[in-house]
Amino acid sequence: MRILALASRALKETYRDPLALGFLLGFPLVFMLLFGAIFSGDELPDFAVGVIDEDNTMMSQAFTDQALPMVPVLTISSYDDADTALKDLKFGELNAYIVIPPGFGQQVSQNWQGAEADIVLDMTYDESDVMISEQLISIINEVTRAFARIDVPVTVNALPIHVENQIDYIDFIGPGIITFGLLILIPTAARMIVRDKEKGFLARLLTTPTRPLDFILGYSLSNVAITIAQIAIFIFGAWLMGMDIVGNLGLAFLIFFLTGLCSVGIGMVIASLSKSENQAEPLAWLFSMPLAMLSGCWFSIEMMPSYLRTIAYAFPYAHTIEAARGVLIRGVGLEAVGTDFLFLVGWAVVIFALGVVLFRRSMRS
Amino acid sequence: MTSNSSERASTDTDNDFAVQTLSLSRKFGDLTAVDGIDLNIKKGELFALLGPNGAGKTTTINILCCLLKPSGGTARIMGYDILKQPFRVKDIIGVSPQETVVSERLNSWENLELIGRTHGMEAAELKARSQELLATMGLASRAKDQVRKFSGGMKRRLNIMMALVHDPQVVFLDEPTLGLDPQARRAIWEYIGRLKKEKTILLTTHYMEEADSLADRIAIIDEGKIVALGTAHELKNNLLDKQTMVAQAQDITPQAIEKIRNKYAEVEVTGDTLKISDKQLSFQEIVDLLHDAGVAVRSAYIKEPTLDDVFLQITGKELRE
Repeated sequence: MRILALASRALKETYRDPLALGFLLGFPLVFMLLFGAIFSGDELPDFAVGVIDEDNTMMSQAFTDQALPMVPVLTISSYDDADTALKDLKFGELNAYIVIPPGFGQQVSQNWQGAEADIVLDMTYDESDVMISEQLISIINEVTRAFARIDVPVTVNALPIHVENQIDYIDFIGPGIITFGLLILIPTAARMIVRDKEKGFLARLLTTPTRPLDFILGYSLSNVAITIAQIAIFIFGAWLMGMDIVGNLGLAFLIFFLTGLCSVGIGMVIASLSKSENQAEPLAWLFSMPLAMLSGCWFSIEMMPSYLRTIAYAFPYAHTIEAARGVLIRGVGLEAVGTDFLFLVGWAVVIFALGVVLFRRSMRS
Repeated sequence: MTSNSSERASTDTDNDFAVQTLSLSRKFGDLTAVDGIDLNIKKGELFALLGPNGAGKTTTINILCCLLKPSGGTARIMGYDILKQPFRVKDIIGVSPQETVVSERLNSWENLELIGRTHGMEAAELKARSQELLATMGLASRAKDQVRKFSGGMKRRLNIMMALVHDPQVVFLDEPTLGLDPQARRAIWEYIGRLKKEKTILLTTHYMEEADSLADRIAIIDEGKIVALGTAHELKNNLLDKQTMVAQAQDITPQAIEKIRNKYAEVEVTGDTLKISDKQLSFQEIVDLLHDAGVAVRSAYIKEPTLDDVFLQITGKELRE
């Protein structure tokens, strides 16, 4: 009852404040729009192509290791079986894979000796991107003809499959921007507690039977409500911007929710360590902005030096982005993101406990 | 909250007192903000703690409402010890802090509701009580407006209402009219006057008129100590050992001043104004003396003693900076 009263008050203080509201919701949405626009232009695609060599002759190995990698726009990786390649195709890590059927080496040797023989390749690709598949077929065709020294077109058995998760930039960036929105809950969360502390509202409440724990729980409850609203709006916004949602929305929601709790907890810790709003605000920004960058809200963190990545993975947000990307745009389930999920649960619990302890200690002085 | 017999008021002999402090003191480092205060405030009394800024008034209030732990001594509110039964105390007190502390984006209704709910009030009771308060405090028509749009006086009134919504037995009003213009101040005085007898009220102020016109009894506090205590009348008439006469006159000559100085202890001249003070003054004698010295007296009066004079006499300082 008391906690609910406090929560409802904190909520009203936030949603009746256009600045706070604009900051919590508008800011990330602007980023979403901005990034969506910046990266919507046509780029020369780089094709990731997997190769399964079932022929296993010197000829087929030369084709895989020397001929194909010579094409600049192709990134070739070898696979032992088609199932693994198919999985990677679905995960968006491959644009296509080629199966070199048995007999390929023999067919090429015959061509080299002047006897015409049909050359057959099986290529599986994602049909949803028409442009990429056409370019790929012609590239593969060309390189194979050059390799076999023939003029006739190679028979490329095209096996289009429908991979729903054709990943474009908004798909990639969507989970990151949503996470960014949850990251900037930190300054908001901290500001609210510190303001109440500084302006004497907390002291006023403590002259009533309210206990510090009531306050912190009521305040957390209001932030939980804000987090839920934020996630719903961001996911909807990202979807409007063209982010494909193929996975379990509930699981994605849960991942974001845990992340929101972590932010509220961090805000609580910062608020407990600060004496004034002027202290808490820069501290919160100093913490959350670099972390947004490190965690990969806007860029892939794969290219970062490993020590930076180690730092990033010590905090929840890089885990969130990875797990959310997996769930939302590749449709993987809890079994695939279980580690990240558990990490988030652990972080939320620990940071909340720490926040409560520090807050109560700061109340004593 | 369930009542527990062991937590009940422990002493029957002190039942007449709503607030009792027992050599209450509080230090902040080397500074002694409250220095062994003993007060006995009767039930239903409006008691004022009068003193300059930094005298220890707010620290005393903060200790009494369990926000601050005393460095020494203790206090009892309606028999409950502030150290041993703080939540008992918090149940029955209402506090209006020195700074206006209201939730700016809530309306006055919601602000009152918040405090009422923290005290576990029933919705119906809370509504009735809030309505009553809003009406008597003249805020009923603005009850649904966000508080940030209020004037300073309106916020101040809400600040006090939030100390009263849960019908507390003891009310602490810390500088209730701080920073208000005279008109707004008068409105609040009128309301506090109406609260008298209903509640036990401990009010702190550095406005002597406020203490003078409202309080049943006044304790003058300076540097953490109670330096005088009594009704306004007692303080002014028993403690003051001098009278002051003020005269407006033209052509005040040094000879005239000299003549008066021979008879009376203090003579102060500022332009056309003469201020004469001593234990005993004779109005007629002074007028005659001035007249004989050729000074034309335009007006003269014996100054009514104020609490300011009392404060000045006891501490050697003016109440107002």
